[in-house]
This record gives sequence, C-alpha cells and structure tokens, in this order.
Amino acid sequence: MARELTVTVRPLPSRLEGLDRSAPVWIIAAAALLLLMLLPLAWLGYLSVSGEGGLTLTHYARVFTDARLQKALWNTVVLAFWSALLSLAIGAPMAWLTARTDLPGKRVIRGLVMASFVTPPFLGAFAWVMLAGPNAGYLNKLYRGLTGAETPLLNIFTMPGLIFVVALYTFPYVYIMIVNTLELIASDLEEAASILGASRLWVALTVTLPMVAPAILSGFILSVLQALALFGSPAILALPAGFHTITTQIWALFQYPPKVEMAAAFSVPLLLATALLLFLQKKLLGRRGYAAVGGKGGQRRQIALGPWRQPALLACLAVMACAIFLPYGILAKAAFSRAWAQPLTWDNVTLGNWSFTFLSISTQTAIVNTLELGVLTACVGAGLATLLAYITNRRLIVGYQLLAFLALAPVVIPGVVLAVGLFIAYTRPPFLLYGTLWILFLAYLTKEMPVGYSQSDATFRGIHPELEEAGRILGAGRLRVLGEITAPLARSGIIATWCFIFIGVIRELSASILLFTPNTKVMSVVIFDLKEEGQFGAIAVLGLFMLAVTFLAVVLMQTLLGRDVLGARPSGGSG
Amino acid sequence: MPGVSIRGLHKRYGDVAAVDGLDLDVKPGELVALLGPSGCGKTTTLRVVAGFLAPDSGEVWVGDRCLSSPATVIPPERRRMGMIFQSYALWPHMTVAQNVAYGLRFNGVPRTERDGKVTEMLRVVQLAGYEQRYPGELSGGQQQRVAVARALVVEPEILLLDEPLSNLDASLREEMRFEIRRLHETFGITTLYVTHDQSEAMVISDRVAVLDQGRVAQIGTAEELFERPRTRFVAEFIGKTNLIEGTAERSDTFVRGSLRLRVFDANLTPGPVVLSIRPHQIALGPASLAPPSSAGENVLRATVLRASYLGDAVDYQVQLADGDTVLRVAGPTPPRVRPGDSVRVRIPASACIPLPPDGAIPRVKLSQ
Repeated sequence: MARELTVTVRPLPSRLEGLDRSAPVWIIAAAALLLLMLLPLAWLGYLSVSGEGGLTLTHYARVFTDARLQKALWNTVVLAFWSALLSLAIGAPMAWLTARTDLPGKRVIRGLVMASFVTPPFLGAFAWVMLAGPNAGYLNKLYRGLTGAETPLLNIFTMPGLIFVVALYTFPYVYIMIVNTLELIASDLEEAASILGASRLWVALTVTLPMVAPAILSGFILSVLQALALFGSPAILALPAGFHTITTQIWALFQYPPKVEMAAAFSVPLLLATALLLFLQKKLLGRRGYAAVGGKGGQRRQIALGPWRQPALLACLAVMACAIFLPYGILAKAAFSRAWAQPLTWDNVTLGNWSFTFLSISTQTAIVNTLELGVLTACVGAGLATLLAYITNRRLIVGYQLLAFLALAPVVIPGVVLAVGLFIAYTRPPFLLYGTLWILFLAYLTKEMPVGYSQSDATFRGIHPELEEAGRILGAGRLRVLGEITAPLARSGIIATWCFIFIGVIRELSASILLFTPNTKVMSVVIFDLKEEGQFGAIAVLGLFMLAVTFLAVVLMQTLLGRDVLGARPSGGSG
Repeated sequence: MPGVSIRGLHKRYGDVAAVDGLDLDVKPGELVALLGPSGCGKTTTLRVVAGFLAPDSGEVWVGDRCLSSPATVIPPERRRMGMIFQSYALWPHMTVAQNVAYGLRFNGVPRTERDGKVTEMLRVVQLAGYEQRYPGELSGGQQQRVAVARALVVEPEILLLDEPLSNLDASLREEMRFEIRRLHETFGITTLYVTHDQSEAMVISDRVAVLDQGRVAQIGTAEELFERPRTRFVAEFIGKTNLIEGTAERSDTFVRGSLRLRVFDANLTPGPVVLSIRPHQIALGPASLAPPSSAGENVLRATVLRASYLGDAVDYQVQLADGDTVLRVAGPTPPRVRPGDSVRVRIPASACIPLPPDGAIPRVKLSQ
C-alpha cells in the first residue's frame, strides 16, 4: 500500500539551519526607514533648542514674541478653519448627492472631483490670479466690460480669496471620506427606521447623519491639516496681499540671511499641531466610524430628488467650474496666446510659449530633474513601501508595529517642516547632500512614504497568507515565495503604489522650494520662479504639461486597480 | 516512513494559552485527526508542526529529527511535509499544472519527469485534462482536488490538513471524506488532520485526538472515544449523551437523591462522580410489562414528557420517578409511548460510564 519514498536521510539539523536566510532583507529595510524618518526630525528638534552656549529656548521665545510671526500664526489659523469649513460645505452635500440620489451625471461629477483632487493647488492658485486678479483678471475684465464699472468685482489677493482657492482643491478630502462612508451604509439601516414610521427627513437626521458624523468631522480635520501644510497657494496669493502664513514665514526665514534655528523653532509647533489633529481624527474614526458601519454594505437604493435634480446638478457644475473649467480654460488660453489677458483672436494665437518654454535650458533641466526624481522616488519608494508593508503584514520582525507607525508618521510633517529638517540634516557631515538631487529624493521619499505604505498595506491585506505558506511547505524559501507567488499577485497593487508616489513627486512644491539650488530645480520651482518674472504663458505651458503627465499616471493606475483614485468602489458596481 | 511525536508543546498568544502542554504520538503511516471546538488549539498545533509557528516550549520530532524546539525551528520549506489549507491556497496566477508542479522543483525531480508526475497525480485525483485551467475556472470540489494533488505529488513524509473540507457543501463534503480516506490508504503517508466535525474525524482517521483547552483530552479510535469516554468533555463532544451528577456509594453503585444506578464493571471510589448514558442505550417500555430486574440492568419508573419524531428515531424526554432527573432517550420508530404515559426505563449497567466530576482533564497516558 505504501509507496516507496526516495528521501535521503539528512544529518540532524544544526542551529544554523533554523535561521531565516531572508532576515537581513527585512532588517535592512527597517533600518533604512528608521534613518530616513528619525534623522531630519532629530536634527530639527535639536537645532530648535541649540544656541551658542548649549541648549536654549531663546528661539522659541523669539518666535512667540515676534509680532510678525504671531500674525502669521493667526493667519494660518484663520485660513485653516475657514477653508476647512468651506470644504465641508462643498464636499458633504456633493458626496451625498453622488452617493445616494438620482442626480444626473454622477460619474462625470465624480471624475471632476478626482481631477480637482490631483490638480496641484499652486496651479489652481496661478489660474485664479489670471481669473480674478484685481486689474488684469479675466473675470474682472469681463465684469468691467459688461457693466462699465471702474472697480474690480473680485480680488483674489485677499484672505477670503485665498480661503476660496484653498477650499477648491481641499474639498475632495471631505468628499472622499463621506462618500466612502455613505457607500458602506446599507439602505436596510435606513429602511429599518422608515418601516417604524419615520419620515425621510427624520431618517436622514437620526440615522444617516449620526453614522456619517465621524466621517464629516474627520474630513474637516483632514482639510485643516491640508491647509496648514500648504505652501504654494499662500505664497502666490498671500504674499502679494502683504500677509504671511506659517509656511510662507518659514520660507521667508530661509531667505538670505537664513535663520535656520528660527525656522526650526517655528516648525515644531506646526508639527505638533498636525500630529495632534491627526491623532484626534484617528480617535474619531476609531470609536464608531467604520466599525459600526461595517460590512460590505447591503443594497443601496437611490433617493429621488424630484424637482431638485436640475438645480442640484447646476450647483455641482458651478463648483466644478471654479475648480476645473475656469482654471484649466484660462491656463489653456494663456498657453496659446501672446498676451494672456487679451481676447483670443487669430493675431493673439501662438505656439511661441511652448517653444520658449521647452527650448529654455533651465526649463529643460527642471523637466529632466523632475521626471528623473519622479521615476527614481517612485521605484525606490514603491520597493521600500512594499517591503515594509510585507514585514508589518506578516509580522516578520520584532517591533513591526513601530515600523508601521514610522512609515505613516510623515503624514503629520508639513512639506516645509520636513524640508527644514532635511536641510539641517544633510548640510553637515556625515551626509553632505545639499545642492544635489539626492536631498530632494530623500525629501520626496519621506513625504510619499505614508501614501505608498497605505497602498501596499491594502495590497497585502488582500493576499491570503496561506497562499505563501503553501509555497513554503512545498520547499520554497521565503524570498523565493515573495518573488514567485506574492509579487505576481501584488503586481498591480505595486504599480499603483508607484503611480501614487510618482504623481506626488512631480507636483511637489513645499519641500522643494527650500531644498533646490540653481542646478537642481524641479518643474514646480520653475513655475514658482516664472511667477516672479510674470511669464504667465510659460507657467501655463509647464502647468498643462505637469497635468498631462499626472493624468497619464492616474489613468494607468485606475486601469490597474479597477477603481478610481478616490478609493471607493466604482458606482454602478455590485452592492 | 517516519511518525510524528509532539512532546510537551506550549504556545501562547499574549495572555492566552492556545496550546497548553500537548503530547501526541502519530505512528508511521497513521492518520490522526485533531478534533475539537474552535479555540482548542488544534490549528495552532498543526502550524507548529508545519514550522509556521515556533513553540514556546516543547518539541516536535519527525522520526529521529527534532524539527521544532524553542531554540531552533527548521523552516517549513525544509521539513519535507505537504499541507492542504482551509482556503486551498491555490495560486490564481498559475494553471492547475503549474500549481501541482511547483513543489517538484525543490525535491530533486528531474525536469523531464515532472510533467509525467503531474499528469499521473491529476489522474489519481480524477482531474485528468484540467492541466491548463486556472483555479478560478474550477468548482470548489475541483479546487480541493488540485490542492490535494499539489500536496501529494511531492511525496511528503508527513501530510497536514487544516479543515480541508469546511468550504465545501454538505454532499460534496461527504464524498471527499471517502476520497481522502482512499488516498490515505493508497499512499500511506503519516497524516495529521485538523477538524471540528466529529463525524468527519471518525470517518477519515485511524485514531482521533480530542483537544480541549490546548491539551489532548483523549486519544483513541472512534469506537473507543464513543464507548469509553474518559472525560465529561469527550463524552459531550462525541455524540449525544445524558450526564448525571451524583456520588459513588460503593464500587458499583451511583446515587443521586433517591435515584440509585448499578454501574457495571467499574471500580468507583466513593465521592462525587458524573455518569454518562448514551440516549440510544436506554430502552423504554410500557409500565405494565414489568421485566425481571437483573444485576446487569437498572429498571426505573418514569413519565414521558415529550416525544419528537425524527424519521429514523424518536427523541424522548422522560422524567424519572425517583428523582428530578430528566433523560433523553432515542427510541425506535414508530413511537410506542406518548407524552404523559408512565413507562419503565431500562438502562444496562454497562451503559453507565463513570467520569470525573469536574471539567478537569485527567493527565492521560497516551496509548501507543
């Protein structure tokens, strides 16, 4: 009955045989992350309290007593609060309309929100300078032409103007949080209330709203975080208006003569504020957010809007006009005209901006730099994030929870603050990287790690560990299983991670603006510089080029993931 | 063909002891089922044997090789074992043939012989002709067969199965039980089979190890476990039973209030004891037909409380006249007594199995 087995008798196993040969790989990945995260932050903290004769708190004292800096702090609070509130006012109703009602053209609206999500905010800000600058702004010219008035209708160089523009590109965060929650709530829960005799409004107020409340609050907090960390829009809109926010103030402290210690001291409060807000948001979601909603969501039935369908659609389109149509339109117009503020007649049409932009040596260098950095960071970042997510998912080394924490930690580090830390860490031995592309590479790698890690983590969660164990028990070592079984299964997820990182890198401004040198400019920095020269045609050309590359990556990613970047299941999919 | 020996195995997850001093010997070529409710430590034990988990203390031996100890854990890929997973764990990006051939690369089978081995093994599991399909294109039962083929084709020394049938529907599950038993008889590989389904364990295995709270409560053939349970847990877990708590008065007499039962062939020590009486070993008869009472039989008066017709048997609840005891009785169809009837209950003394009173598991010496 028993078949003959051809098994050679091996000697008793030694201690060495029990060792996991793959261990060095995990340990190196973990050490790389540790160094990447801790070095800049440690230097930042240290420099903020270091003085001539040892430790001191004078930098902090100066930061908090300087009236200009206090004003910058207050401006940031105002900007963050109002832009988050405005984001909520735009994002929440739009989320409900697209997730729950029979609004026409939901897919289109969703696509437009996504476009707004991936639009670099500083490009939006530039576009709005061209649209609503007090003198040459296109909308103001139209208004003056129509009414004959002398004064401009809109002035974007004001705090309300800044809040408005920031909110236009921040509201997608609120939208995503709420849409994802709404799509998880089965209609059963609402119908259970209806069957008990509650009216539609009462159901919305007592059942739906409380379940979505954590998402609303955490969307609000995310928007605040976004506004706190933003550099481009305030630099473009607030500086001409004569006021600072924290991020622009840190940047100003870096201008000649640089006051690095002051910048460090000013960065720490911003860092702590973001950390606190993020902690708060996690608490909110943890308590009863998704857990209570739970499940894969049962059937969802649409609510009929009745006579409100057309007005609701118009409102959504009006928002999208401000976020997408008008800005993209003015950029396109500027890219193809000799004088962007003049009407688009045949005399005014030109391709000169394109040749001027792409023939300029410095622009060419910046484009090459950006793409090089984008590809390099995306490759290294996706690789590292994949390894880290694998380690934490399969609990390969002691302290894997710390790794997960570290990989997600940069979420709380605003780009400008990260740049200050990196600048300090890499302008002195043993790592002299300032002036090279490597310091930008490290900045991007650090900044994109949370996105890359979350994406990879989701990928590995979807791969059953037994698939790997089946390979092990058949005789394949851990690394071989990783290469032959896990990697092929995770492939599309890894490529999506690559795209996420790439998109983040090519639009990055807030860290780049402190770390670039004349030889290491990137596209976003060139765009920022062109503003000083008033070269709006060239800005438009570069901006459109950046958008084109971004959308290419988005399309690639969507194809791979089978879902859109917003993370929710495609509408019309199975409930 | 080596056997498997697990000695004093402990494994904790945080504060919870998943495996708490487990000893088990599997003879060469034997199929032993690890049976128990969820949380009894059966899957943890299997994963320690496979090398996916390191023991906190204790050792796992295969033949004369110590594979796992707290100091050294030979990785799974060097254990020459095969494993079949609950999820089947077929690789969706490989064809059936690629799935099955995967392990052959590592055990020295020349490239030229691999195709032949795969074809042969697929024929054995009745999947000839499915080589180029992908797992996603197969039914649940077919996927199960591919998983079996993939584990067997490498001719492992030890085969591990982790609830392999729990994802199949009822009729297919029954069919696969016999199929797995047939394959075991063909290949004779030493096998550990984890399941929570007692009838599955009884059909498939040579011996069943019942696990309770991380230890082996009892090991034996299906018949031994059913007829001679050693603990209350085993008696309740294997089949249905009546448990009556009381005290031993003499070496052969059980007392609960005014209820006295003769226990055959038992050396009871006076003190608290629990009796297990299987429902199908109790007979009911009309009160008028009083049979002669003998030393080998207990005859008691009772009243029928309820009778449920189940098709192949009638499930009675009867209240004994000399106590507050209610017994479940499985009687033949058609029902001969009705609720409210006075009846005579006949319980053979040999059907009364004495068990230790509390839930404690006696440290059993394992039968070899």
